[in-house]
Amino acid sequence: MTALVTLFQVLTLANLVLLTGLAYVWGRNYADMRSKHTLGLLLFALFLLGENGMAAYFFLVDPQLSGWISNAQQVPPPAQLAMAALRVAQFGGLAFLTWVTWD
Amino acid sequence: MEASLWYVLTGTRGGKNRVRILRALDERPRNANRLAEALDLDYKTVRHHLDVLADNNIVRDSGDDYGAVYLVTDAARTHWDTIETIMEEV
Repeated sequence: MTALVTLFQVLTLANLVLLTGLAYVWGRNYADMRSKHTLGLLLFALFLLGENGMAAYFFLVDPQLSGWISNAQQVPPPAQLAMAALRVAQFGGLAFLTWVTWD
Repeated sequence: MEASLWYVLTGTRGGKNRVRILRALDERPRNANRLAEALDLDYKTVRHHLDVLADNNIVRDSGDDYGAVYLVTDAARTHWDTIETIMEEV
């Protein structure tokens, strides 16, 4: 079941890319406008960047954790499926948000 | 409408130019060509922003002929205090 783990890892990196784009747009708008609305959007992007950054570290870099999630003996497939499903859902949300924001 | 005004004008990449277009149209209605000249923007860029603003019912064109004049909608006028707040910040 390493495909699910790979999907999880790839989407974690994709989310980092999308969130960097969102933080860039909202950061620039905040610098221009200084409104609480753009600050809210910028902070939203920064917190989710932190979340995905931690996920990337835990499950791609840290030798113990990244070795552990790809081992079906230690993380059974249903749990890997659940982890991957969370990333898929987040990626879907961020992809649409980036699409409307980049406009 | 309030939330979409904030998002379309301050949450997106093209928000700043959309605010400039709205300010110019508030001054007086004009067509895409005149807007592009006045704001020193590409004609296609202006057209795109006008489509986004029209899609959100913030501006409308006065007719269906080519080169139609654009103006601020009544819906946007009723929320003009919000738009003014945004304009002050840009």
